[in-house]
Amino acid sequence: MTSMAEPLRRVPAAYWGLTLLLVLTLMLALGYGYRQLQERSEAPLFRVVVNGEALILDGETHAALGQELSVLSGQLDLHLRDEMQPWLDARLDTAFAPLEAAIPEYLDWHFSLRGSYLRLAVALGGDLDEWLEAQLNERLLERSNIAAALEELEADFGARLIEVQQRVVGEIGSTLQTRYAPRQAAARNEDELPTIDLDLALEGMLQGRWDEARWGAAGAGGVVGFAAGRALTQRLVAGTAMQGSRALMARIAPRLGMHAARSVGTGAATTAATAPSGPMALLAGTAATAVALAGFAGTEYALLKAEESRYRDDMHAELELELTRARAEVRQALEAAASDWTQSLERSLQQGIHDAEEAAQVPTQYRILGSR
Amino acid sequence: MAKRLSARWRQVLGRHGPVICVASFMGLWALLGPGVAATLLLPAWVIAAQLIFVGSFEAARLRRRAWLGQYLDSASPWHRWLRGGLLMALWHQGLAILLALLLLVKLRLLPPVYWPVLLLSLVTLVLVQQLLRRQLQRHVIDEYVAALVRRLLVWPAGTLLALLLVLTALWLPQPYLVGLGWEEAVIRHTSTTAGGGLLGAFERFGQALELTQYWAMQNALERHGLGQGLAVFGWFLLLLSQSAFAWAVVRLTVGADALRDTLGHLRNAERKDAP
Repeated sequence: MTSMAEPLRRVPAAYWGLTLLLVLTLMLALGYGYRQLQERSEAPLFRVVVNGEALILDGETHAALGQELSVLSGQLDLHLRDEMQPWLDARLDTAFAPLEAAIPEYLDWHFSLRGSYLRLAVALGGDLDEWLEAQLNERLLERSNIAAALEELEADFGARLIEVQQRVVGEIGSTLQTRYAPRQAAARNEDELPTIDLDLALEGMLQGRWDEARWGAAGAGGVVGFAAGRALTQRLVAGTAMQGSRALMARIAPRLGMHAARSVGTGAATTAATAPSGPMALLAGTAATAVALAGFAGTEYALLKAEESRYRDDMHAELELELTRARAEVRQALEAAASDWTQSLERSLQQGIHDAEEAAQVPTQYRILGSR
Repeated sequence: MAKRLSARWRQVLGRHGPVICVASFMGLWALLGPGVAATLLLPAWVIAAQLIFVGSFEAARLRRRAWLGQYLDSASPWHRWLRGGLLMALWHQGLAILLALLLLVKLRLLPPVYWPVLLLSLVTLVLVQQLLRRQLQRHVIDEYVAALVRRLLVWPAGTLLALLLVLTALWLPQPYLVGLGWEEAVIRHTSTTAGGGLLGAFERFGQALELTQYWAMQNALERHGLGQGLAVFGWFLLLLSQSAFAWAVVRLTVGADALRDTLGHLRNAERKDAP
């Protein structure tokens, strides 16, 4: 047809082929170049030993692992609390159960005829608080054997804490391993890679702090001992005795004072009336006082008994409340010790990772915990 | 009535088929997901490059023919030797492939705001083409009308589109890069959604180029100390990239038109050969 269409008629297929060929060549060349470039500019590789397996990670993945590790170790405290709390509650229940069971027995004694008279006698004669403390200690604490139970709890708590800690740390390791094993990079010369032994850091964190853990448990134990010993009795006395029997005593005291005053007064009046008569007057006064006291012993005992039986339930409740409070305190002390310990573990983990990376000469921008 | 309407539609479609094809090709390519686009890169590249090539090769041959006709004796065999063969084809192929790549990458990165501009300029292109054809029909040899219209079309249409694109680029909000180092700006604002393949790499490169241009312009404007060189560089990059894109779009459209003509010629020739 036309002279222009003439060459074009023959060429299109050839030109399409030429374009395809050129584009293919270009794509292959560029793709190869791109891959080369990618390999060359790729972030350095690291070998991270975690959960017994050596993972080969590139810089970005390593940084991601580091972030995840610090998040996980930041939650260590939380995990531990979750694990420890039910156990601790159960153990505290068993430790305090005999004590609670001993309360009615103590109260029986407290309001028995003998107990009441003794108390009355002590209240009249000496330091009621101290005596009550001793009674509580002997009849409530020693009989329920709370001190031994708490000591055992404290020892078990330390052991259990270490055990749970080991398990949680092991879980962190296996989590990281399962999450990052599929994200490994291919490496040709594995031996030359900087190696970061996270296992070592995690183990070192536990082992290095073994003593500290004992110390921490001992610290908690100190509190436990304190709570189980004299402090608890004092509190029991301060609480219950103050609120219950001591309030009674406080109510008794004015009456006692009144009676004493009356009796002394009677005695004094007799003394005054018979003043000139010498030693006879003194005798008469003393006799009057004694009579007054005897009268008191009769009426006041009935009063005391009635009031005490009115207060028995309250006293029971207060004793229990005080025990609950003591229990909460023991628990708090143990938890605080555990939390302290966990925090020091976290610090030591960070230090361990830092040391491992330092040893592997990891460049600062790829470090797990940033440039510190 | 309906028949006439459909006939009219067919006529419009037949006349503007290439433009519609090109527009839908570009739109489809821009809409594809990263994975599909990466797998379809080769055919899309080949098609775009071939379309651009057809248009520019036709123009180059026309130019060469005019030049040869000016000086050579009409009986000389040099007409055949010099009319443009493998070397010319290779040169235009290379150019077309690069332009097609630029077009494809730029289309992938194009914000939706640009599409009205693109479509508007394509419509303008069609209108100008019709106008030119009507004007030239009376004065130009029939055989060359279509080719000459295409040749004359490239510059005004390309300039218009480039201008619109530059204005749109300046009007659009830019990432704030003042005070950032170049490397930081590029790293912070390059997206990683493009995927890891070759197309993804091209897209990231395109993004980096765009960011470089914004960075240079913003920082040159803000920091007087940094100097005019940076501003010039930024503007140069902006004008270059947008006009290259505009040129590629226009070339693609024109090439599709040329291909349609070529195919029509071939069909005519076959029909003529057949009886």
